[in-house]
Parts: sequence; structure tokens; C-alpha cells
Amino acid sequence: MLEIKNLYKNFGSLKVLKGVSTSIEKGEVVSIIGASGSGKSTMLRCMNLLETPTFGEVWMEGKLLTPVDPYLHPEVIKASNTFKALTAQGMDENAAIAKIKAEDLLQEKHNKEGKEYKALMDKIYKENFIDIDHARRKMGMVFQQFNLFNNKTVLQNIMYAPVKTGIEELKKAKNYNKETKAKLIADSKERAEALLKRIGLADKANVYPSTLSGGQKQRIAIVRALAMNPDVMLFDEPTSALDPEMIGEVLDVMKELAKEGMTMVIVTHEMGFAREVSDRVLFVDNGNIAEEGNPEEVFSKPKDAHLKDFLSKVL
Amino acid sequence: MTFSSLLKGMWKVISLYWKDLLGSGIAFTLLLALIAVIGGVIIGTLFAVGRMSKLKVLRGLIVAIVEVVRGTPALLQLYVGYFFVPAFFPAMNSLDPTLMAFICVAVALTINSGAYVSEIIRSGIEAVDKGQTEAARSLGLSGKDAMLDIVLPQAVKNILPALGNEFITIIKETSLASTFFVGELMTKYKNIVGVTYDSVSTLMVVGIIYFILDFALSKGMKTLERSMKAHA
Ligand SMILES: Nc1ncnc2c1ncn2[C@@H]1O[C@H](COP(=O)(O)OP(=O)(O)O)[C@@H](O)[C@H]1O
Ligand SMILES: [Mg+2]
Repeated sequence: MLEIKNLYKNFGSLKVLKGVSTSIEKGEVVSIIGASGSGKSTMLRCMNLLETPTFGEVWMEGKLLTPVDPYLHPEVIKASNTFKALTAQGMDENAAIAKIKAEDLLQEKHNKEGKEYKALMDKIYKENFIDIDHARRKMGMVFQQFNLFNNKTVLQNIMYAPVKTGIEELKKAKNYNKETKAKLIADSKERAEALLKRIGLADKANVYPSTLSGGQKQRIAIVRALAMNPDVMLFDEPTSALDPEMIGEVLDVMKELAKEGMTMVIVTHEMGFAREVSDRVLFVDNGNIAEEGNPEEVFSKPKDAHLKDFLSKVL
Repeated sequence: MTFSSLLKGMWKVISLYWKDLLGSGIAFTLLLALIAVIGGVIIGTLFAVGRMSKLKVLRGLIVAIVEVVRGTPALLQLYVGYFFVPAFFPAMNSLDPTLMAFICVAVALTINSGAYVSEIIRSGIEAVDKGQTEAARSLGLSGKDAMLDIVLPQAVKNILPALGNEFITIIKETSLASTFFVGELMTKYKNIVGVTYDSVSTLMVVGIIYFILDFALSKGMKTLERSMKAHA
């Protein structure tokens, strides 16, 4: 469903992700744990390209979200001038590929690597890419700081994206007129109201976010993402900015989602919660997934020394 | 000079030159400020949009203009306008000299104000939390939609008060235009003193008029701000 391949992310000279790969299956709940600053948010934000990976690819439902990473395609490397030059000097093909990968030898400018290389890169991209705005419509995201739209009421917050993107779809299908627009708005409103009712905040539909508590804001942020009918939900420490007494209400909404079979990726410091809802737990350390497994393995029988150390501090 | 003789002098200035002061001095001052602010908002918006463009050359050019305007005295910019605008548009030399001076000064003040307004708009946009854009983008909205529907409506709340201040500043800066006798308030001051030789009384009257203009404007802005907050 969602796959990251050999993801690298540098911020200037700071190397945050160093070749992370993982695949999230449909219906799976994956928690990402790790020390603060280890790159958990960066990893999550690379999944919907709020951060642009330096290298590597992100795939969502068989579609490519990033540019093609030549290092992930041996046939592309083989088409490059750099590879041809190395093998012409008598270097073994596999050794040449290994050297090119290890030393990042491919020229960034495609034409410098020759026509064949450029054509192959373009072909792979054209066959697989999906527009990022479209991909994101199927990936909900929940932020630590809620990020409700301050200039919109609660109901408008939830309806905004479905209506806006819905209108775009209608226009594209040449089916945009008064009636279809009215129906879209009515449907979006009905759905938004149902979602609000579900989290017990129907009475807040017409207030502005500034009047809400943190817990209320975050529950609304969750249903705002759900209003787009996403296939996967990404959570970046959804309870870390909350007063302790409000954490429970947010986790409850998330637990319910998990029970309903939503695919979820959750960066969290709530170890009890991660243990309870996750199918798989990833421990991120030093820009990589240092250990992963089911919650039982990760929490009860940790192998990685840093993970043991981390757990002893947080549990 | 006693206080009562000052009052008498001021009264004389007001009664003799009321029409001259109010009728055209204030009108020209406000007209010049209005041109500069409206033109400034247009130029400033274009600059602010230009600075978000992908074209490096355009961004660099705008930054350079803004920095030059901010780094040189406004009076100098008026001189530049006064001499350069007619050089570029020779047809202007056939105009009435006061009108020509007015146009030149208006152009210079507009560009000056445009540079400051573009900074106001830029910082107003930057003051909106990045999370607002990220939330919109994460829902699949384009950068343009996020900017127009989410960021700008919030930025306006930062921008409008600062624009009010810019208007107030510009009203005061129009007094520099009297160097070229364009007919605004400070020019009128010079005209009147040329006849009466009573600078103190005239200055007081002109000063009070400037103060009332700016004070009323600042009060008006505050009311507007408050009503905006009430609707947020
Ligand atoms: N936009 C950014 N610019 C520069 N450095 C960043 C940026 N975002 C994150 N970092 C740095 O990357 C590292 C990992 O950050 P992050 O992924 O937020 O960690 P975590 O979520 O695990 O606490 C930190 O050292 C952080 O300071
Ligand atoms: Mg984080």
C-alpha cells in the first residue's frame, strides 16, 4: 500500500535519514518509536512528501510519488555513461554498480549520463508517477500541533478539502454545474456532520478553532483528514502537545479507527498505546530502522542495545 | 511671543488662508498619500508575488529594489523621481510645472511605498504558521489553493494594521514633496509664510492639521482591527 525505498534525507549537512526502507500493508497499524531528534517525523513527512527525500523513492498503491531514484534501478545504472566508462576500463559489472551506488557517481544532469539513461529514467517515471496532490488525497495526516485552519469554523475545516477537490474533479469530468456543486456541498456537509457527531462534537460545528481545547482540536483534525476518505492515515505525535487529561480522548478515536481496519502509521511516545494497537513497531535510531517487529518482540524482547536503553528510559 | 498672540496669529492664519489650507493643501496631501498607498499596494503585491516566484533573477531584482528604497532617504528618492521621470517621458515637459512635479513626486512616493508594502505583505504571510499550509497540502490542496484560501485570509489580519501605519507614514512623508512645491500642505505653509512672515503660527496650524489627519486615521485603523478580531 505504502512503500518507502532506500530513503535518504539531508538537511544541509545534517544527515537525518540514511537509507530507510519499509512497506506498510493495507490495514496494518505501524508505530514508529525512537528518541527525540532521531528522524521519526522526517520519515513520516517523507511518506507524503511534506519533506522531499534527498534520495530514494516513495510508492503509494503502486504509484510513484517521488522522482525516479536511479540507484534503485540497476538497469538505469547500466544505461549510464558513468557505468559504461567504468566497465570500459575493464571493471566487472557488479563491481561497477556497487561503486557507483557507494560513491554516488551518477551525474544529476540526465543528459550527462547519455540519451539511453535519460530515456529510461523518463520511461520509468512516466509509467509510474502520480501527481502528489492526488496522492495526498488518499493519505490523511495528523500533526502534533493540530493545524486546524484558524480562519475557518470547525465545519468549514472539515468540508474545505472535500469540496475544493470535489469541484476540481467535477470540472475535470466536465460535470460541473449548479446542481452537481450543490450536491457535492450537501454531501460533504452531511459527512462532516456525521464525523463530528461520531467524536461527540456536533455542537462545535460553527465555532472557530481558537475556542476549542487541545483534545477537541486534535479529534477534529483527525476527522478532517478522514473526510477525504483516505486509504492511510499518518500521525505525527498526535498527543504530544496535549494536556495529560486529554490524551485519552484522542487515543480512543485512534483505537477505534484501528479497529475499523484503517491503515495507520503513527509516530508516538505513548508506548502503552503503541503496544496495544500496533501490528508492527519500528524503532528509529541514527537515521535508520534499528529494530522492528510485533509489539511483543520489540517491547518485551528488544535486541538492539539503543532500543533497550530507550525503553528503559520511557517505560 | 505670548500664548495669546500665538493664538491670535493662528486664528489669523486659519481665517485668512482656511480655504487655501484646507481646500487644496489637505486635498493634495491626501491625494498624494492615497496615490502612493494604493499604487504601493499594487506594486507591493506584485513584488511580494514576484519574490515567491521560481525565477531567481526576478527575486534578486525585487530584493535589490526593496533594499535600495529602504536604504536611501525618501527625499533623495523624490529628487530622483523629479529628475528621472521627465527624462524617461519627455512629453511631460510640456505639462504645467506644478502638475509635472506632482506626477514625478507621486511616482517616487509610490515606488517607495511599494517597497515597504511588499515587505509588509511578505512578513504578514511569513507570520502565518507553516502548519496551516502543511495541513492544506496534506489534504491534497495545491500550493495556490493553500495560499489563497488559508494563508492569505490569515495574513490579511497581520497586513492591514501595518498598511494603516504605512498610510500614516506616507501622509507625513508627503511633506517632503514641498521641496518641489507640488501644492500639498507643507507647500501651503511655505506660501503662507512667504506673505505673513509668521512661521510659528503657521507651523502650529499645519502641524495640528497633520496630527488630526494621522490621529483620525490611526483611530479608524484601530476600530477596523478590533472589528476584524471580533470576527476571527
Ligand atoms: N526543516 C528542517 N531543517 C533542518 N533540520 C531539521 C528540519 N527538520 C528536522 N530537522 C532535524 O532533523 C533531525 C530529526 O528531526 P525529526 O525528524 O523531527 O526527529 P523526531 O521526530 O524523531 O524527533 C533533528 O536533528 C532536527 O533538528
Ligand atoms: Mg517529531
